Parts: sequence; structure tokens; C-alpha cells
Amino acid sequence: MAQPSEGRPGGVIHDIGYRPYTGPRQGTDAAARSLFVAGLLNAYGIGRSGKAKGLPMTLLAMMVVPAAIMVAVMVTLGLTEGFLNYGTYPVSLMLVIVIFVAAQAPVLFSRDLRSGAISLYLARPLSATAYALVRWASLFVAILVFIGLPVLVLYVGALTAEADVSEHTADFLAAMVGIVLLSAVLATLSGLVAAHTRRRGLAVGVTIIALLVSTGVVTAVQAITSEQGNETAGRVVGLFSPFSLVDGVQAELLGGQSSFQVPPDTVGWGLLYLVVCLAVIGAGLWLLVRYYRKQAGR
Amino acid sequence: MGIIETQGLTKRYGQVTALEGLDLVLDDGVTGLVGANGAGKSTLIKILLGLLGATQGTAQVLGHDIRAEGAKIRSLVGYMPEHDCLPPDVRAIDFVVHMARMSGLPPTAARERAADVLRHVGLAEERYRLMGGYSTGMKQRAKLAQALAHDPRLVFLDEPTNGLDPAARDDMLALVSKIGREFGISVLVTSHLLGELERVSDHVVVLDGGRLLRSSATTEFTSDTGLLLVEVLGEGDAQTAMGERLAAQGIACRPRGQLIEINAPGRADLHDLVRDTAVEVGVGLVRLAADHRRIEDVFREEAGHGPTV
Repeated sequence: MAQPSEGRPGGVIHDIGYRPYTGPRQGTDAAARSLFVAGLLNAYGIGRSGKAKGLPMTLLAMMVVPAAIMVAVMVTLGLTEGFLNYGTYPVSLMLVIVIFVAAQAPVLFSRDLRSGAISLYLARPLSATAYALVRWASLFVAILVFIGLPVLVLYVGALTAEADVSEHTADFLAAMVGIVLLSAVLATLSGLVAAHTRRRGLAVGVTIIALLVSTGVVTAVQAITSEQGNETAGRVVGLFSPFSLVDGVQAELLGGQSSFQVPPDTVGWGLLYLVVCLAVIGAGLWLLVRYYRKQAGR
Repeated sequence: MGIIETQGLTKRYGQVTALEGLDLVLDDGVTGLVGANGAGKSTLIKILLGLLGATQGTAQVLGHDIRAEGAKIRSLVGYMPEHDCLPPDVRAIDFVVHMARMSGLPPTAARERAADVLRHVGLAEERYRLMGGYSTGMKQRAKLAQALAHDPRLVFLDEPTNGLDPAARDDMLALVSKIGREFGISVLVTSHLLGELERVSDHVVVLDGGRLLRSSATTEFTSDTGLLLVEVLGEGDAQTAMGERLAAQGIACRPRGQLIEINAPGRADLHDLVRDTAVEVGVGLVRLAADHRRIEDVFREEAGHGPTV
């Protein structure tokens, strides 16, 4: 259909002379930074349609509001001790985190593959490897902000309520290290699922089921095995959910409080949990990079 | 030195050969790359962009080697793929700005360039709409805009007229021609429709089954055949009446569709004669033109089979 604006060549609008660009051109690092920022904003729906902002913003509110209420109660009643636990806050809001991760990973990993925009990215200076890593970094930071923001609110609230600064700072930093690890593991797993499924609905479903079911299984098996007195089995099972995995590292190596029944009880177990954590991230990134390098030739 | 040079470029996928020993030297201007579907057009472009590795042979784009300097080439070249490549939930202006940034333009320059190129491709007002709601014609324009966003020295346009209606097709071809002649950006444009490229290209490369069939200036393809074409209008069968009268005067002619094809090389007064004959017969002279060969004729002669016209 010929739109009025798709007028014949030589139309009034088209005929303003072409201006070549003679200004500076930046390198691939600037392009990578730009892609990172754009991806991070896209994960929260910014720079996309208005509809796309609804879910991530609602979920973020669901994460932060409980923390804000806790802070309000704490400040009003003057509570400073035993009320807050930075490390367990993310696990208690696991469902909200899982929905956010599952819904927003496809934004960064399925959308370009599905729309075909990936071929435009790969026809530009940034390599397929850099593209995959930058996309991962955007998702990682988006999840980090999502989980870290409410914990930061708790920490600031505690300081406002004149809690013991050094004690709270140590707890907060330990919890943040755990949150960084959790964000990296979740970004890797959900990114892999989203890139391979391509279809958003499918990716969301698979991610939610994988994360919730694995955590459910860990909780159930740990309950059964500890009843039978076999805690080793429970600890091994704990390696199979991102939440129990990072919880174990956080509880054993960083001195946090565990949300699971059978956390690692020795430094050895703690280290094993940490190694598995890093291995998941490393292997996942390698698979992602390999996948995107293959896309270049398509 | 040409903007694109290939030496023995070969690409095989297992048993399938997509390109076979391609030797090319292409200069500035608009180059048409013609071939049936599967002739190796898109494969050639992807190899030149450094996205696909060649099985054998070498190539240089703008003087840069495709194996060693892929990133450099991709910063100097624009690419408009054949298939869909636009995210539906983004506005054209935001997308083109983003793509300009991906090509290394600073933020302010990217915004200015994006507005500029969108205007040039004819998406002035529609640029604030989400691209998911675009018609095929508008999508093709947005795809073209992102390829031009960083003011490349060369653009690869893969089937830019695909899926367009005749009017939109003409507009797109006019744009392609304008990019090559007014914008000063060299163009490599592919199509399986030969007639299209004849109109916009300075040079035409014909691929057939991955092999180079012919590479030469468009004017060589469309040289004068020495024939004269005449079209007349009038009462009854004006064409036959006109043809018979011409034949009676010793002019060799035969009908070609609605036209009369006159083969009388060397007669200086031929145009006057045709005019006077038309007056005598009492028919209106609608067209009197030299016959040019068309690329598709060459293709049919050399390949023994032709893609659709």
C-alpha cells in the first residue's frame, strides 16, 4: 500500500541533501558499553514499548516494598537486633526473583534471535563473543540490581535506625557477595535457556519450572535425608539448585545464615559449593559464546 | 584498486558448493548482483562481511582482508539483510540510534544521523512509531536506514525490493540509485529480478550456481541491438496495416507483441519514413525507439536458462 509519505522519489521531504559524517568514530569498547547500558535498560522495559515496563517494574516494587515496610517498622519501634537478615531476604522472595529472571532473560537473549536483529549486530564491529558476553553482563547487572536493591534498602534502614554500623556492614557485604554470585548463576542459566528456546513463552516456562522445581526438590530431599540421618546426601543435593548452591557458599564461607535445612558444615563443603558455582558460570558462558559464534554464519 | 576484490573465493557446505572459484574486481558506484535463489548471492555478502569463513580463496573489501580485518570492514560497511531483522517493540528512531552507536558513532552524532537517514529513506513522521506496526515497505525502509546510519563507505543491500508492491519497488530502486550517485556510498545490491538491476546499476555481476557467469558494465549488457521499435494506435488493426505498408516499401519488419520491430540497419531516413508511412496509413505514432538488449536476454543466452523476470 502506498502511504502518502512513501511518495514518489523527488518528493519534498526526501530531497534534502545528504550530509556525510566526518566526526569521530569510537572503537568497539564504546559500542560494547552502549550495548550494555541499552540491554540493562531494556531488561526493565526502558526504551521499549510502554507495555514492556509493566512486569519488571511491578516485580521490582514487590521486591522493595517489603524491605521498605520492614525498615519503617524497625525505625518506628526502634528495633535494631535480630530483626533483619540480609542473607535470607532473597531466598524468602525467591518466587518474585524467579519470575523476574524468567521473564526478562528472553528480552536480552531471545528477542534479537527471534526478530533477526542479531544479524545486524553481528554485521557490526562487535564480535559474536563480545556480543554474548555484553548481553550476559546486562542481564547479570539487571538481576543484581533487582535482588540487591531491597537488601540495600534494609541496610540503609538499619543504619538510619542507629544499629551497630560495623556489625551490619559486615553482614551486608557478605550478603552482597552472595547476591552477586546468585545473580551471575541465574543470569547464566536463564540466558542459556532463553537463547536456545528463542520463544519467549517457552523460555519463561522452562526457566520458572527449572528454578522452582530444582529448589523444591532440594528442600524435599534434604528434609527426607536429614530425617534419616544422612546429611551428606542432603548436601550433595543442595548443589542442584542455584538458590541452595549460593546459599551454601554464603552460609559457610561468608558467615551468613542459611535458609536451607542442610547447609554445608565444613569449609571443604563450602569450597565445593563455591567451585560448582563458578563452574556453572564458566561453562554457561562458554556455551553462550559458542552459540552466538554459530549464529554469525546463519 | 577496486572496493571489492575476490580471488578464487570458494565456499562449500559439505557436498554443496555455494560459491566456486569466484574472481571479481568491483569499483565504486552501484553494482548489481544477480542470480536465481541459491546462486550464492547472500553467501558472498556474508563472506565479505567476515561472518562466514571462505573454504578457499581470499577477498578484500575497501582494501581490508576479510580474514584478518573483519571488524574493520564491518565498521566501514552497512548491511541490509534479506530477512526480517527489526524488533517489533522498538521505535524506528530508537533502533537506528542504537545501531549507529553499535557502529561506533558518539551519542549526539548517532541521534542526528538517525533522524537524517530516516528522513532520507522516507520515514520522517513514522519514525516515532513502534516498528511492529510497520507495513512491509516501511520495514524495508527502516532496514535500509540502519544500514546507512553510520555513513558507511559501502552498503550491501540483500534483496531490498523483496515483498514490495510495484510503486514501493520503484521508490526503493530510486533510493538505491540515489545512495550510489548522490550520497556517494558504493552499493552492492542483489536481486533475482534482472530488470530491476538494469535500471539502477552501473555494473552487473551475474552468478549462476555459485559460479561467475558474467561481470561487466550495465551498458554492455544493454547495448543497442540496431533494431527500431514502433508502436501505433488507430482504427481496426492499425499494427498490421502499418506493418504491411512498411513491408511494401521494402522495410524488413515483424510484429513483437504490441510493437513492430523494424530491422533496417544503415537507412538514414528510417525515422522520417516511418513518420510519413504513419501519416499515409492514418494511424497515430505512439512510440519510435531504438531497441536495447536487456540483461535477461544476455542471461538467457549465456546460462541457457534464466531466473524469473
